[in-house]
Amino acid sequence: MTDLIQLRGVNKYYGDYHALRDIDLTIRAGEFFSLLGPSGCGKTTLLRVIAGFEGVSGGTVMISDKNMKDVPPNKRPTNMVFQSYAIFPHLSVAQNVAFGLRTRKDIDKANHKALVEEALNMVGLSGFGGRAAHALSGGQRQRVALARALILKPKVLLLDEPLSALDKKMREHMQVELIRLQRHVGITFILVTHDQEEALVMSDRIAVMFAGEIGQMDDPETLYRRPKSRRVAEFIGKMNFLPGQVQTVGDTLDLTIAGFGAAQITPDQMPEGARTGDVSVGIRPETLAILFDGETARRHECPGTVDEVVYYGDMTYYDVRVKDVPQPLTIAMKNLIGRPVLDVGETCRIAWDDRALVLF
Amino acid sequence: MSLRIYAIAYLIFLYAPILLLPVFAFNDATIIAFPLSGMTTEWFAALQTNKSLHAALGNSLIIAGCTAVFSTLLGMCAARAAAMSHFPGKGGITGFVMLPLVLPEIIVAVSLLVILRQVLGLDLGNWTIIMAHVLICTPFSIAILNGAFGNLDPAMEEAALDLGETRWSAFRLVTLPLVMPGIISSMLIAFTISLDEFIIAFFLTGSNPTLPVYIWGLLRFPAQLPVVMALGTILVGLSIILLTIAEVFRRRGLARSGGKDTGGFL
Amino acid sequence: MMWPRNITQDQTRAIRLLGIPFVYALLLLAVPLGAILLFSFWTQDFMTVDTTFTLDNYREIADSPIYAMLLQRSLMVSGIVTAVTVILAYPVAYFVSFHVAPSKKSLWLFLITIPFWTSYLIRVFLWKVILGYNGVINSALLQVGIIDAPLTFILYNVNAVIITLAHAFAPFAILPIFVVLEKIDRSLLEASQDLGESRFSTFFRVTLPLSMPGVVGAVLIVFIPTIGDYVTPELMGGAGGKLIANMIQTQFLQLNNAPLGAALAIVAMVCVTAVALAFVFLNRRWLRARR
Repeated sequence: MTDLIQLRGVNKYYGDYHALRDIDLTIRAGEFFSLLGPSGCGKTTLLRVIAGFEGVSGGTVMISDKNMKDVPPNKRPTNMVFQSYAIFPHLSVAQNVAFGLRTRKDIDKANHKALVEEALNMVGLSGFGGRAAHALSGGQRQRVALARALILKPKVLLLDEPLSALDKKMREHMQVELIRLQRHVGITFILVTHDQEEALVMSDRIAVMFAGEIGQMDDPETLYRRPKSRRVAEFIGKMNFLPGQVQTVGDTLDLTIAGFGAAQITPDQMPEGARTGDVSVGIRPETLAILFDGETARRHECPGTVDEVVYYGDMTYYDVRVKDVPQPLTIAMKNLIGRPVLDVGETCRIAWDDRALVLF
Repeated sequence: MSLRIYAIAYLIFLYAPILLLPVFAFNDATIIAFPLSGMTTEWFAALQTNKSLHAALGNSLIIAGCTAVFSTLLGMCAARAAAMSHFPGKGGITGFVMLPLVLPEIIVAVSLLVILRQVLGLDLGNWTIIMAHVLICTPFSIAILNGAFGNLDPAMEEAALDLGETRWSAFRLVTLPLVMPGIISSMLIAFTISLDEFIIAFFLTGSNPTLPVYIWGLLRFPAQLPVVMALGTILVGLSIILLTIAEVFRRRGLARSGGKDTGGFL
Repeated sequence: MMWPRNITQDQTRAIRLLGIPFVYALLLLAVPLGAILLFSFWTQDFMTVDTTFTLDNYREIADSPIYAMLLQRSLMVSGIVTAVTVILAYPVAYFVSFHVAPSKKSLWLFLITIPFWTSYLIRVFLWKVILGYNGVINSALLQVGIIDAPLTFILYNVNAVIITLAHAFAPFAILPIFVVLEKIDRSLLEASQDLGESRFSTFFRVTLPLSMPGVVGAVLIVFIPTIGDYVTPELMGGAGGKLIANMIQTQFLQLNNAPLGAALAIVAMVCVTAVALAFVFLNRRWLRARR
């Protein structure tokens, strides 16, 4: 894949407020890329910088190797699906979809009708062209917004929290449809979202942003399994943190973990620049397990006491106290057939595995 | 329930004088008092032949028309700026532009009179009244247009830009149609205010009086009072029609831009 | 939020747009106001203006009791008119906000505002017809036999001025109160009742305090402009009902003493502003609650 968008040292100030800090970012052609982060992290600002609605205070934005400095939004090869969808209420669905064709001298006017119908068809709205825009449901508005942007065949489609206005069922449905649509048209999608699950499900790559900076940029699996910082680990999924101490760093890394004891980390899991001394050891709830009668741990086990039980139907989340560990550990257990749900106060055995450890 | 009765009684109190207008306009007596004597349309007929009345009406219509256009243009600038991003001093500047809304009209009148006559030595005319009326109508236009511009999703214009339009064509194709009902409503309100304004017009009128100034003159001659009643009946009817149209457009505008109706012009 | 430095493109655009009406208001309001301030320190003898700085006009206003009397009467009339309009208007605003179906609210407001926009002069004059010697009220009362001779205390005095002004400014008082009442979160009232307050005490402990900004707005928007009205006192006030605005008008248009008129206008405006500011100050605790 070739590089389509390159951001180099992009900074953005609003007065004294530093909204974007030294953003370096490369997005490849045909990629489904997500900007993920809590509200106020600058992800929408970054999207609007790419669209051209916000200028930069420093750095360069290149799209298809062309510097976008002083290129207004109407001259950029990007189109946007707005969070509010911004469907023009005084126009019909077809007029909305055809809106951008007016200024495209390269497209023959005679083809407009066919293009509109094709675009509506693509988003599953064929036959809706004559409807008044204000009579549409939320999901339909979103489809119109997609058709209106995609009809112009942009190099990049920018989506600003496009699913946040929809209910849960509709949101999950549209996630799948957006992925399918993106595969179909082959256009680069850049999605802004604060929903980590949405980003994990949909994206080829994700940039996690905090306070105007990119915390980590990786594919969903790497991001989940090998977060580079505690912030990223805490923002994506849930993670337990235990104090630990690294003894030796060599081919393998040897450490002791409070409550757990000795552990060893193999070369492929070793974090960059690992040193001896105090570390924070992260472990995901689903990589821990409570051992029931007769079960034995594959690697290590240690005793604990159940502190809290949260029953979710398919899963049960336990908070378990382990001697010498400051915070109770959260453990996620599938509710398999015949497996009991423990009560608060019961003692139990915990299985853990050094392959699941992440050092910070 | 008792609140409803009170509110209705209040409305009757508000409308009492207006309701009397047609009563005396059609009353066959030169004295405006009870008991009534009989029906006549003589006073309306008298309106048709009154040359100086027609001249005054003509003046007032020109003044009201110009006032409507200019105050709405100024109001559009302010309302659009209000919907855009904040900058230091914005509140103060807007407050200053809205000041004529609460300033005693006589202050506006005398201060303009002083600067025009005494300082600049200019002759008074329709244009001096237009200038003053634009000043006092602009706050009303701003209040109405704020509703239209403020309810507009800023993403609308951005979407048009994003789809290839320039800033101006985005405004023309998207914003203007969406705020048009507000513009019409603003023009009608400004027109009505200007047509009815007396306190300032009395100070700034030149040799040709406006309609209210002319009516003021008539009020001193008891024999002319029935004619004034007839004229008033027509004016009130006209105002109500204009205001109804303005209200219809204001509501349509809110519906179009998807806003919630908070009611009223202020 | 404020961005003190680094003005964005959008801000520049907003500044430029707002600049147009601002410059207009500056030229037609601020500059003329400056001019009357200047004038008030000059003198005029028939048509010639003497531009030597003098406090004579203010001295004259301070020395002749007529001006103080007029000013005092004006402030009193405006004060009473304001109190009457706001007290009468509050229940109407409350009714429309709380007891009228949402779809009918604009209709009510429309009905309330219509009289405000129509034929001010004629409306004032009609009060003369209602309150006059042979007027509606006297005719009706005579007919019913409650009185033997027409009442005379209702026309050509301060009472008549107050009634007429209160009528003219009624809608101005309703709207600000209504707007604030509309913004009150209805769940606050439910919360109050849930916590044991009756409907009645909820009104005094929750609704009224929350609506005070609207009441203050209504007071200002009625009090300040009523000072500037000379039509009503002229038509309704008789000899004893003239106000400061009539005197200003007389100085400018009949006595050709613009500097004295200007000084009177300045004094009147300063007094009104002082009273208004004092009122806002007294109510400051209601105003700072939110935002």
